[in-house]
Amino acid sequence: MATRAPDRLAAVPPGKPTGPRRRRLQRHLVHRLDVKGSPYAYVAPFFLLFSAFGLFPLAYTAWVSLHEWTLLRDEHPFVGLENFRTLLADDYFWNATFNTLSIGVLSTVPQLLLAIWLAHLLNRPLRAQTFFRITLLLPNVTSVVAVVVIFSQLFGRDFGMINWMLSLFGVDGVAWNEGVLTSHAAISTMIMWRWTGYNALIFLAAMQAVPRELYEAATIDGASDMTQLRRITIPMIRPTIVFVVITSTIGAMQILAEPLLFGSYMITGGVDRQYQTLSLFIYENFTKLDFGYASAISWMMFVFIVLVAGVNYLITRRAKGGLT
Amino acid sequence: MNARTAVSGTRSSEAARRLTYLTLAAVAFFSMLPLYYSIVVASRDNAALADVPPPLVPGGNFFANVARVFDTVPFALAMVNSVLVSGSVAIAVMFFSTLAGFAFAKLRFRGRNALLLLTVATMMVPTQLGIIPLYMLMVKLQWTGTMYALIVPALVNAFGVFFMTQYLSRALPTELLEAGRVDGCSTWGLFWHVVLPAARPAAAVLGMLTFMSVWNDYFWPLVVLTPEDPTVQVALSTLASGYVNDYVLGLAGTTLGTLPLMLVFALLGKQIIGGIMQGAVKG
Amino acid sequence: MRKSRHRFLAPMVAVSALALGLTACGGGDSGGTTADGGAVSPPAEKIKLTVGLFSDFHFAPLYEEFKKTHPNVEIVERRAQFNDHHTNLITQLTTGAGAADVVAVEGGYIGAFTPVPDKFYNLKEYGLDSRQSEYLDWKWKLGVSNDGSSLIGLGTDVGGLAMCYRPDLFKKAGLPTDRDEVSALWPTWDAYVETGKKFVAAKVEGAKFTDGPGEHFRAMVEQAPIGFYDAQYNIVAATNPEVRKAFDTGVKMIDNGLSANLAAFSPPWNTGIAKGTFATMVCPAWKTGTIKDQKPGEGTWDIAAVPGGGGNQGGTHLVLPKQGRHPKEAAELINLLTSKESQIKLFKEASALPSLPALYDDPAVSEYVNPYFGNAPIGKIFTDAAKALKPQPVGPKAGDVLKAIGDGLQRVDQGKQNPEEAWKQAIEDVGRIK
Repeated sequence: MATRAPDRLAAVPPGKPTGPRRRRLQRHLVHRLDVKGSPYAYVAPFFLLFSAFGLFPLAYTAWVSLHEWTLLRDEHPFVGLENFRTLLADDYFWNATFNTLSIGVLSTVPQLLLAIWLAHLLNRPLRAQTFFRITLLLPNVTSVVAVVVIFSQLFGRDFGMINWMLSLFGVDGVAWNEGVLTSHAAISTMIMWRWTGYNALIFLAAMQAVPRELYEAATIDGASDMTQLRRITIPMIRPTIVFVVITSTIGAMQILAEPLLFGSYMITGGVDRQYQTLSLFIYENFTKLDFGYASAISWMMFVFIVLVAGVNYLITRRAKGGLT
Repeated sequence: MNARTAVSGTRSSEAARRLTYLTLAAVAFFSMLPLYYSIVVASRDNAALADVPPPLVPGGNFFANVARVFDTVPFALAMVNSVLVSGSVAIAVMFFSTLAGFAFAKLRFRGRNALLLLTVATMMVPTQLGIIPLYMLMVKLQWTGTMYALIVPALVNAFGVFFMTQYLSRALPTELLEAGRVDGCSTWGLFWHVVLPAARPAAAVLGMLTFMSVWNDYFWPLVVLTPEDPTVQVALSTLASGYVNDYVLGLAGTTLGTLPLMLVFALLGKQIIGGIMQGAVKG
Repeated sequence: MRKSRHRFLAPMVAVSALALGLTACGGGDSGGTTADGGAVSPPAEKIKLTVGLFSDFHFAPLYEEFKKTHPNVEIVERRAQFNDHHTNLITQLTTGAGAADVVAVEGGYIGAFTPVPDKFYNLKEYGLDSRQSEYLDWKWKLGVSNDGSSLIGLGTDVGGLAMCYRPDLFKKAGLPTDRDEVSALWPTWDAYVETGKKFVAAKVEGAKFTDGPGEHFRAMVEQAPIGFYDAQYNIVAATNPEVRKAFDTGVKMIDNGLSANLAAFSPPWNTGIAKGTFATMVCPAWKTGTIKDQKPGEGTWDIAAVPGGGGNQGGTHLVLPKQGRHPKEAAELINLLTSKESQIKLFKEASALPSLPALYDDPAVSEYVNPYFGNAPIGKIFTDAAKALKPQPVGPKAGDVLKAIGDGLQRVDQGKQNPEEAWKQAIEDVGRIK
């Protein structure tokens, strides 16, 4: 999208030629070094740090996944791809994959739409502006204990608020944690509650950089609020939308805390594994000390995330070039 | 400001305005509810949790419960540690992410797209299993039990780099950079005089989010630190221990642990958001 | 090494201090108290022992006592949340660093460590096998490695089992309310189910007979001489008739409408304790605290004997990870913390049930009553159960097996599967446990 920027920038001619030839050459060299070298120097800290602290765990996990590796045991026989073969034939793995995707879609799609809309509402002069913006982050800093208590008050079978309201419409005693769809809906609600404001704030930051003149012109042309959102705001913050879609997808694929809390720390995600996500499945095998299998799941999960994030990216990007 | 008032002032009717406030108030209400509830419980006793319907107003035990927190864990030390860790990580992430984001968004170099893709890909690595190898690394470096184990690996992350890249690609007008080049700025000079000011709103949000997530980080500190020299979350985790959870003590602790965040949000919030309000092109 | 740390720390502190407008930030990390502090100390052989626990065990006065005979030892206690404490221990043992000198391991986890005695000091080498005759047999054996070669841990407390019940609901159902009469209702689990049927027949409004069959299932299995593991530590859950019998008894509870279908420790279960949605539950000693926390009211719950004789849930061992540098002193500390004198003190201080049967006749234990539970003589009830329990081989994955079959029972309870399907799936799940 913004790819025009770099080409232009590098094409800008070097500084004004002054002084004797040698100095000019020297300056030219320094300048070339600056232009050629700086970008690498600027991205280097991230890659250095990643090589130091990210690469080793990654490689180690890959190595472990090729072994029958039980924690606390000293022998780890090499089994090649056996863990992966077992995994692909494991119903519980596919069950966890389905749950992850289902919860991911149920939570992410409404969440992002809501976040954009909220950001749009906040992107205008309002009274108590700071207050409203700060409250967006509160769900993310609230103690999980309080969250669990509140949500179990909401979704309780016997004394829950939601069931109480449903009972007014003649629906009785929904056991939210027992069904597939009901548990997914409840967990998605929790996820949305915790993360919508977070994403809204990110959208808001991007919206603030959209030049005001565009809106003024559109207003003069008589464009409605919604039209302005669709025609100006969204195209102008598209890189940030790509960012939020990708990070939310990754986050949703790795979701752990909410299903764990929803099930009162039940790592199988319900007695029928009805809401066990991939992360919970990894966690379950880890607590069974089966480090080799857990590592294999991790790597499969990585592959899935790449696939899903890739598809989402293509959808969001809609045939426009470059990540940015 | 005036221009913006004019913009939305003419376009939204009074009814729409009211609807906006109503929506935002509802969102604020639901966002605050559990936090409010934890304050309510933290100011009562354990029985309050079992009450149906739940209690609606705070009781009188808050300070007694807070005193219990301070008696049980080294909370002051934990606060200092958390401020040190979250503060230094947030600053480093803001700086390095803006730097890398600038390079990715606005500079041309061989392998740019591939490196950016790689950066994004690193985010997709599931983190849970990394704990054991990372711990081994920390043992080798003799960083276990120290704050280095928390600070150094977190100094810059893919999330931040990607975030700043996406933001700057739109928010930083290329013309501004060209003008800077014509004035004879080096790349560093461009970064310092043009990019940093323009990046401020997004960097502030990034700093806030980073501070928050480091402050709340739990799994890794718990493994690598000891309760003698903890962060706030590690100290809090030791409050809720044993077969029988003392929820009130736990909630009093977590509420207390949230207060500094509130303080950061409240003090910086206006400024941060002031920064956002000014828009990007000022610098 | 310390120097280089400080060199690194200085700019870090400066940066953050500058940025946050603070003047001094050093307090956090620059002090000398690192985890590995003790060993660098000068000649006087000052020793630092760390003790890793998962709650307040009320050990503090005992440390003071220990220091009287060991003036050179400094003791630092670390506490972590229950699950974190144990998973951290696994990480620390795997990577060979970071564990405390003396670590508490709870009954549900000890089986994971007895197969790997090489990760722990053998307490026999420090003369602690002399204590065997003092201990409850089953408690002692939990601390012995599977191959019998090594003693990895010494027990502190036990969690004797009882059956908690609500006299008010029993009265409504026309059942006796006196605890001795109630105990007499259910010498066996079948009799317990029969009592439940009577309760159901009385149609007490809004109340089931019990919370759910899971804890009952566990108690039944643990009362058998062989449970999920045989004497060679092979998993035999699928073939052991005792396990199937316990499962079937659980199903009977469901089929006869005894179960409120509530998982223990879930929020609605907590609420149910206060609201009286169920009339009985399996109660290890420490669950009295859970009940009290829900504030059902004094005398609302009472305590009777558990069907089938004995039982135990929970209780702790103290172990010495091999990483510790002062095993001799640490072993002496364990010896003191688990001694007769200490255990009786801990019972008085913290209601921790002793694991040394000689103490069960001590009036402090046998005459101990709890006013909150209708003056139930809980000292006697719980120690009787602990004494009646026979040793059973506990394998490394006993908790996982229990969970797999317990989930099966819950699937029946939730109406998702019939008992045969649930059993079949549970056994398949057990088969996946390596």
